[in-house]
Amino acid sequence: MEFTLPAIKIGAIAPELILVCSAAGLMMLDAFAKERGKTLLPILSIVGLALAMVASLKLWGKSEVTFAGMVAVDSYRVFFNIIFIIGALLTVLLSMNYTPREEIDRGEYYVLVLLATVGMMVMAAGTDLIMIFLGLELLSISVYVLAGFARGQLKSNEAALKYFLLGAFASGFLLYGMALVYGAVGSTNLAMIAETLATPHLPARVLLMVGVGLLVVGFGFKVAIVPFHMWTPDVYEGAPTSITAFMAVGVKAAAFAGFARVFIGALGALHPDWTMVLWVLAVATMTVGNLAAITQSNIKRMLAYSSIAHAGYVLVGMVAGNEVGRASMLFYLLAYTFMQAGAFGVVIMLGQKGEPRLNITDYAGVGHKYPLIGVAMAIFMFSLGGIPPTAGFVGKFYLFGAAIKAGYVWLVILGVINSAISIYYYLRVTVVMYMHEEGEEVLAVSRAPAVALALILTSVATLGLGIFPSWIWEPVQKTVNLLLG
Amino acid sequence: MQSFNIVVYVFAAIIVASAALVAFSRNLVYSAFALLFTFFGVAGIYVMLSADFLAAVQLLIYVGGILVLIIFAVMLTHRISDVEISNQSLRPAQGALILIGIMAVLLGVIFKTQWSLEGQLEYQATTALIGDLLLKKYLLPFEIVSVLLLAALMGAAVIVRKEVRGEQSGGKS
Repeated sequence: MEFTLPAIKIGAIAPELILVCSAAGLMMLDAFAKERGKTLLPILSIVGLALAMVASLKLWGKSEVTFAGMVAVDSYRVFFNIIFIIGALLTVLLSMNYTPREEIDRGEYYVLVLLATVGMMVMAAGTDLIMIFLGLELLSISVYVLAGFARGQLKSNEAALKYFLLGAFASGFLLYGMALVYGAVGSTNLAMIAETLATPHLPARVLLMVGVGLLVVGFGFKVAIVPFHMWTPDVYEGAPTSITAFMAVGVKAAAFAGFARVFIGALGALHPDWTMVLWVLAVATMTVGNLAAITQSNIKRMLAYSSIAHAGYVLVGMVAGNEVGRASMLFYLLAYTFMQAGAFGVVIMLGQKGEPRLNITDYAGVGHKYPLIGVAMAIFMFSLGGIPPTAGFVGKFYLFGAAIKAGYVWLVILGVINSAISIYYYLRVTVVMYMHEEGEEVLAVSRAPAVALALILTSVATLGLGIFPSWIWEPVQKTVNLLLG
Repeated sequence: MQSFNIVVYVFAAIIVASAALVAFSRNLVYSAFALLFTFFGVAGIYVMLSADFLAAVQLLIYVGGILVLIIFAVMLTHRISDVEISNQSLRPAQGALILIGIMAVLLGVIFKTQWSLEGQLEYQATTALIGDLLLKKYLLPFEIVSVLLLAALMGAAVIVRKEVRGEQSGGKS
């Protein structure tokens, strides 16, 4: 058999390559360096992420499919890469002081964060079901381990085990769904799937529908939409807080990246079929997430339920399915990255070793004792609740506007009601911080310059996106043309 | 064709019977050994479907690797002689409900789908074709699998390795 190597365009996968190389380099450094060299690990991860960001930005505006239809080089992917890299950068910043405090500062931590980021990028770039599945697995396996990184703590063990068992199940569902879709269509390539579905007569319609249903289950678990959300509060509560932030922003965005490319792109012809399902799921997700968040007393659990509710808002954009809907999903995920990472940053800032006091009532008096932290937390809470002039408000405005345009008025009405409900529990945090009598003693702030930097960045970005949304909204509208490969 | 069908059904019967033994056996060791025959049966089906490479890999990895691992895990688990720890049926009513649901969906799929059946199977060696595909069309997924394995390897090491400084030994289970 004669053998010719396929054309390999290194540039098309440069961001992924850079991160894999930095992860490998960090691993070597961790293995061979002395104690002092190990303090370089987070800084080198930041350098690697920054290089990957540059490499991603170089791909902006291109439009091609390489590696035998496996990878798309399009702005959709670049935008998601930016979200993932920002999420990973914030995670590293949040971890720099957190991991020594919790005594989990081992080198593998940053390596796994970088590898998980590679997985996210593969998911967003993949134009083949195989690529999307591999990206998801790379991401998930790294995050299972990260969730259980605080091995001395039972809660972290529990989080890792729960996430792993349920996550493995979800991966099984997803893979089975992909297999059935492949069986019905005869290809795993997204473009081929879209092409086959565009023909009027489908011989294997039932098979296809069951496959699509299983795909919804698999992706639904990863983005934590109701009724596949059960694991979220426990895992978010038990995992190290910096990893919780990583899961809430990065993992969710990555799952949505794959979800949207498969459903809007490849299964676009079936839009009428899956839209109703997602409509119901969106409403259920928003409602259950918000109602459950109201009753929470632990701040990490409250933020976990809030992240479920936010997945519901993003689903609204997917249901809308039009170009504005897609663009608003991306905008919202970016805005959400800043505000949610910021909120977890405040939790880290106000925590002590072992994080003994995570009740919302423990935040009493924080607003007066530490005015800057109070203001930052208030910005994140307002933004999560969707109050102007913050990123959360603008994001919701675009999402709901897209759904109205597509004619889903009831969905928007339910979404707005939900948004109003959510303001109650977001504002409660602010009220506790500023207006409650402090109890025994106000929480102490840990000395954490890196976290402080992350808080400054996120709060400025949250406000900036809220006041000047068009800076991001204009480029984001260019990203809506999905390539399929 | 007739003999082909008979062989396939024999393999299918082996799979179902041994899988039932895996599920219903009250002794974990019996379950593990019954799994051996399930894997063999699946390999046989692969052979009949002219997927020779897949059949070999099935034997190598599942029988040679995973099953041995399972049996080791079973044998290293203490209190293995206790029959109590084996699989008891929990909540049969709910289980039956799920079973019926899944059966209904799968049977629906099998009977409602118009399968595009190719009349005659063409037997040819697939190994070279797979190798060719792995280095051409599936080059990138192939590379990503290696990164995935690296992450899994390191993750497993992180989870199981001995306690390092500062960690209490009590918390870990």
